[in-house]
Amino acid sequence: MVASTSTRQLWVEPWLAALPAPAGELGPVQQRGRAALARTPLPAARAEEWRFTDLSLLAQLPVASVAAAVERPLPAPQPGALRLHWNGREDPLQGVELPAGLQALTPTDLAQGLGHTLAATGCEQHWPVELNQACAERVLALRVASRQRVNLELISAAGEGLQPLRLLLLLEEKAELDLSQLVSAEAAGLHSLVVEVHLARSARLQHGLVAFGRSDAALLAHLAIEQEPESQVSLSQVVAGWGLARLEPRVVQVDGGAHTILRGLQVVDGQQIADTHSQLEFRGPEGQLDQLHKAVAAGQGRSVFNGAVRVPREAQRTNAAQLSRTLLLSDRARIDTKPELEIVADDVKCAHGATVSSLQTDELFYLQSRGIGADQAAGLLQRAFCEEVLRDLPAAARAWCPLERLLEARA
Amino acid sequence: MIRPDAPVLLEIRDLHARVEDKAILKGVNLTIRAGEIHAVMGRNGSGKSTLSKVLAGHPAYTVTGGSVTYRGDNLLELDPEQRARIGVFLGFQYPVEIPGVSNLEFLRVATNARRTEQGHEELDTFAFEDLVRERLKVVQMDPAFLDRSVNEGFSGGEKKRNEILQMALLEPLVAILDETDSGLDIDALRIVAGGVNQLANADNATLLITHYQRLLDAITPDYVHVMAAGRILRTGGKELALELEQRGYDWVDQELAALAAEVA
Amino acid sequence: MSSSQAVGDLVSQPYKYGFVTDIETEKIAKGLSEDVVRLISSKKEEPAFLLEFRLRAYRQWLQMQEPDWAALGYPPIDYQDVVYYAAPKQQQKKASLDEVDPKLLETFDKLGIPLSEQKRLSNVAVDAVFDSVSIATTYKEKLAEHGVIFCSISEAVKDHPELIERYLGTVVPSNDNYFAALNSAVFSDGSFVFIPKGVECPMELSTYFRINSGDTGQFERTLIVAEQGASVSYLEGCTAPMFDTNQLHAAVVELVVLEDASIKYSTVQNWYAGDENGVGGIYNFVTKRGQCRGDRSKISWTQVETGSAITWKYPSCVLQGADSVGEFYSVALTNNKQQADTGTKMIHVGPRTRSTIVSKGISAGRSANSYRGLVQIGPKAVGARNYSQCDSMLIGDQAAANTYPYIRSQQPQASVEHEASTCRISEDQLFYLQSRGIGFEEAVSMMVSGFCRDVFNQLPMEFAAEADKLLALKLEGSVG
Repeated sequence: MVASTSTRQLWVEPWLAALPAPAGELGPVQQRGRAALARTPLPAARAEEWRFTDLSLLAQLPVASVAAAVERPLPAPQPGALRLHWNGREDPLQGVELPAGLQALTPTDLAQGLGHTLAATGCEQHWPVELNQACAERVLALRVASRQRVNLELISAAGEGLQPLRLLLLLEEKAELDLSQLVSAEAAGLHSLVVEVHLARSARLQHGLVAFGRSDAALLAHLAIEQEPESQVSLSQVVAGWGLARLEPRVVQVDGGAHTILRGLQVVDGQQIADTHSQLEFRGPEGQLDQLHKAVAAGQGRSVFNGAVRVPREAQRTNAAQLSRTLLLSDRARIDTKPELEIVADDVKCAHGATVSSLQTDELFYLQSRGIGADQAAGLLQRAFCEEVLRDLPAAARAWCPLERLLEARA
Repeated sequence: MIRPDAPVLLEIRDLHARVEDKAILKGVNLTIRAGEIHAVMGRNGSGKSTLSKVLAGHPAYTVTGGSVTYRGDNLLELDPEQRARIGVFLGFQYPVEIPGVSNLEFLRVATNARRTEQGHEELDTFAFEDLVRERLKVVQMDPAFLDRSVNEGFSGGEKKRNEILQMALLEPLVAILDETDSGLDIDALRIVAGGVNQLANADNATLLITHYQRLLDAITPDYVHVMAAGRILRTGGKELALELEQRGYDWVDQELAALAAEVA
Repeated sequence: MSSSQAVGDLVSQPYKYGFVTDIETEKIAKGLSEDVVRLISSKKEEPAFLLEFRLRAYRQWLQMQEPDWAALGYPPIDYQDVVYYAAPKQQQKKASLDEVDPKLLETFDKLGIPLSEQKRLSNVAVDAVFDSVSIATTYKEKLAEHGVIFCSISEAVKDHPELIERYLGTVVPSNDNYFAALNSAVFSDGSFVFIPKGVECPMELSTYFRINSGDTGQFERTLIVAEQGASVSYLEGCTAPMFDTNQLHAAVVELVVLEDASIKYSTVQNWYAGDENGVGGIYNFVTKRGQCRGDRSKISWTQVETGSAITWKYPSCVLQGADSVGEFYSVALTNNKQQADTGTKMIHVGPRTRSTIVSKGISAGRSANSYRGLVQIGPKAVGARNYSQCDSMLIGDQAAANTYPYIRSQQPQASVEHEASTCRISEDQLFYLQSRGIGFEEAVSMMVSGFCRDVFNQLPMEFAAEADKLLALKLEGSVG
C-alpha cells in the first residue's frame, strides 16, 4: 500500500514540471517552494507527525488541473454578506464592489505580510505549505479596517488536479470578521489551502471551514493564526468524505491575553483518512483556549488527532481546556488520538480529556424504549454528537446544511 | 460581656498595612478584652477584611506601621501557624479547598499543633475521633464530612460550618470571623451563630467582621465599630449597628468628607 | 520569599543514601564486546542456552539505535566506558547470613533493610542485590514450604534452568528495544519469583538494589511467574551512592501471569539523582512489562519514582486473557535538573479486558517531568475499557510538566477515557493550613501526599509508610 519514498518522490516531479515558470507577484515564493520540494522528500510514516497518515492517494491524482464549479445549489448569501467564488486562478475580486471596511492589500502590504504568520506559527517549512507556495499563482489578501464588521463567504470548488488556494487576512484593532468558507470537491484532485490571519488587539474572527470531499480527492490545509491580546478567534472545521484530509490549525497568542476557541469535526468512512494536527502556543500570560475536537469513524476509515498545547514560562495564568471525543462505529475503522500538553508555568489551569467509544447503549436503549427504531436512534445520536461542533459555525456555513451532507457522506 | 478589669487579649495600635502597592489600613486602633464580642462593620473596600488577614499573618499583606500585641506579646513577628497555635483564629470568608488532604487528618494535625503549644499531650487517632464527634454537635455537622477532602465540594454553608468546627476544636482566645454570614441561608446562619455563641465565654473574645445587621441579630455584640477608608471611624454599642441598618452607609461618606475637609 | 520559592527549597533536600561502602570488589575491565558477554556468562557458570540468548541479544543490540523520541536530553553515552560486571569479593553465595561480609549487612542496615535474623521484617522476604550480585535472600526456606521459589536469578539459572529457559525473554524479547537488548546481553543478577498453581504467596517479597561502584553499569533482570490461581505482591527498592559521573542502569522486568493469577509489583525508586546542577546521578533506562496470559489474570504496577538523573520507564501490561486487568499507579517527583519520561502501555488484546492508569507528576526546580502513555485497543478486544487520569503538580515556574497520552483503538465496542489536569500548591491553600497552626513544611507535605494519595493507597501496607517517608525526606528541612 505505502509507496516507497522514491516512487512517491517521483510523482511530485511531473507536477512540478507541469507548472509554468515562476511569475507574477508570487514569483519569488514559487521559486522558494519549488526549491524546497525538490530538496525535501515527501513526509513519510517514519516521521512522528505523519506516522498514521498515508499519502499514497496523492500519487494517483491526475496532474493536469481542470476547473470546476460547485454542483449543488447553494442558498443565497446571508444578508449583508459578500460572497466570493474563489478558485486560485482568477481574481475573485474582479468586478466586485467591496463593502465598507474591507480592502484588498496593496502590493507593499502584501510583501510585508505574506508568510509572516506561517513563520510565527513555525510551519513555513511544512511540506504541504511548500507545496502550496510552489504552485499558488495568486493570493487573496484582504484587510478588515479597525472597528468595522465584515461578513464574508468564500466558495471554492475543487476540480481535477492540483488546486492551490492562498489567503491572507489582516484584522485591524477591533475589526470583526465572520468568514464562512466552503470547499467542495467535484473531481479527483488535490486541494491545497494555506490561510494566514493576523488579528490586532481586540479584533474578532469567526471562521467556519466546511470541506466536503470525495474518496478520490485530497485536502491539505494549514490555518495559521496570530493573535494579539484581547483578540478572539473561533475556528471551526468540518471535514467529511475526503480520501485524505490533513488539517493543521496553528495558533499563536503572541503576547497571551487572547481567547481562542477551536472546534473540529471529521467524518471518515470507506478507506478515508482524516487527520487534524492542531497546535496552540501561548507566548504571554492570561491566554485562554477552549478546544473540542470530534471524530466519527466508520467503514475502514482512519481518524487521527494530535492536539498540542504549549504553555511556556511567560504564560502564567493561562487557562486551557482541550477535549477530544471520537465515535468509533465500525470494527475496521481506526482511531489514533494524542493530546500533547507541555507546561512550564506553575500558575495555570490546563485540562485535557479524551474519549473513544461507540454510541452509548443506554442512550440507544432509552430512545428505542420510546418507540424509535434502532437505526433512527443511532442516527439521532450521531447528529447530536456532530451538532455540538456545527452550532459554533458562522451563520452562512451553518446554512450550507453540513449535517445533512455529513450523514450523506456516511451513507 | 464588658468587664473593665478583664485582661486585654488583643491591642491594635495605629496599624498601617498595604497589599502590593496599595495602602489599605491607615491607622487602625482597637482594644479587645477577654469576654468581649466586637463587630467591625463597613462597606466593601473599607479595609475590614484586610484587618482580619493582617491579624492572621497572610503573606500578601505587608504591615507598614503600628503594632499589634496579643496578651502583651508582639503578634506581627509570628508566622501564621504560630499565631494559630497560641490562640488566634481566623474564620475565612472564602474557606480554601484542598483536594486530596482529608478533612479529618487536617483537623487532627491542627488540633495537635495547638495542644502541643499548650503543653497538652497529642491525641491519637481514636481519642481525636471521640473529640471531633463531640464537637461536630456544635455546628450540627454530618460526620461524613470528615472523610472528604478539606472543603472540597462543600456548599457555602458547609464550608462555614467546617470553619466553626475548627474553631470548636482549636479553642482560640481571639476568634476573628470574616464575613462568616456571607452566602448563608437563614438556617445555616442560625446554626453558625449558635456555634459561635456556644463557644464564647468569659476568657475568650470574638471579632465579627460583617457587612450586615442580620448576623448581629443572632450574636449580640458588646461593641460595634464602623470602618471606612482603612480606619475605624466610629465606635458604639449594638445600637450603632441598628442605626447603620436604618440609615445606610451614606452618612459615613459625609463624615469622611467632613474629616477630609478638616485635615485640609 | 514567595511561597513557591519556599516550596521549591523544601524539595531540594540532600540525598541520604549517598555513602559508599568500602569493600573489595572484583571488576572486569571496561568495555563491551562478544568476549565480555562470554566472560560474564562463564563467571556465572551458565548453561549454553543462556550464553546463546546473551550473544543473540548482543548482536541485535549492535544493529540497533539508541531511542531519541522521549522528551529527554543527555550527552551521548559511551558504552565502552562502562564496567559490565562488578561483585563484592566473596564469590560463593553463603549458606548462612553469618558468613556474609558484615560490611554488606551494615550497608543494608543503614539503608533501612535489616537482613539479620533478629532485625529483619517479620512478614517480608528480602533479596538484597549489591552491584551485580545478590548477596542474601531471607525466608527462602519458609517460602519453599509453600512451593514458592524466591532467589536471585543466577541461582535460578543453576537450580531451575527449565523455568528460566521456558520464560526468560518471552515477555520482553531480546530485541524489544535498545536498552532491553543491552540488558539481555550483559544482565548480571536480579530476582526470580515463581508462585506455583493455586498458591497465594504467604508474605510480601522484596528486592533491594544497591549500586555501589562508581563506574559500573547495573543491568538487573527480574522474572516473576504466577501460575494458575497464584498471587504475589512484590516490591523493589533502589539506592546508589553519590558520584560525580553518571551511571548507567538498564534493567528488564518480565511478569507472566496465567489464568486467575495476579501480580502486584511495586517500586520505590530512589537512585541518586545528581546534584543541583545535574552533575552525577543514575541514568535509569528500564523496560518493565507483564503479560496477562490467562483469563481473569491481573497485573498491577505501582511506582514511586523520586530518584535518578534520567528516568525512561514504561511499565506495561499486555492484556491477552479475556477479562484480564491491568493497572498502573505512578508518582514521579522530579527536582533540580532531573528528567523523567515515564508512563505505561496498556495493550488490550483479549475481550472485556480492563485497565486503569493513575499518574501523578510533581515537577520542581528546573526539572522536566513527562507522562507518556499508550492505550491500545486491538480489534478483538470487544468490551474493553480503559480509564486514565494524569495529574501534574508544578512547583515554581521553571519546571516542565508534559503529558503525551496516545490512544489507539480499532474496536467500537470498547471505551477509552482520559483526563488530565494541572495544579500547584497555591499561596491561599498554604495560608489556610498555616492559619490552623500547621507548619509550612508539614502543610506542603500534607498537600503533596494528598495529591499522591490515590497512588500511595495502592502500595503494600508495609511500604506505604516508606513511600510517605521518602517524599517527606525529599520535602524535609528548614525553610530558608
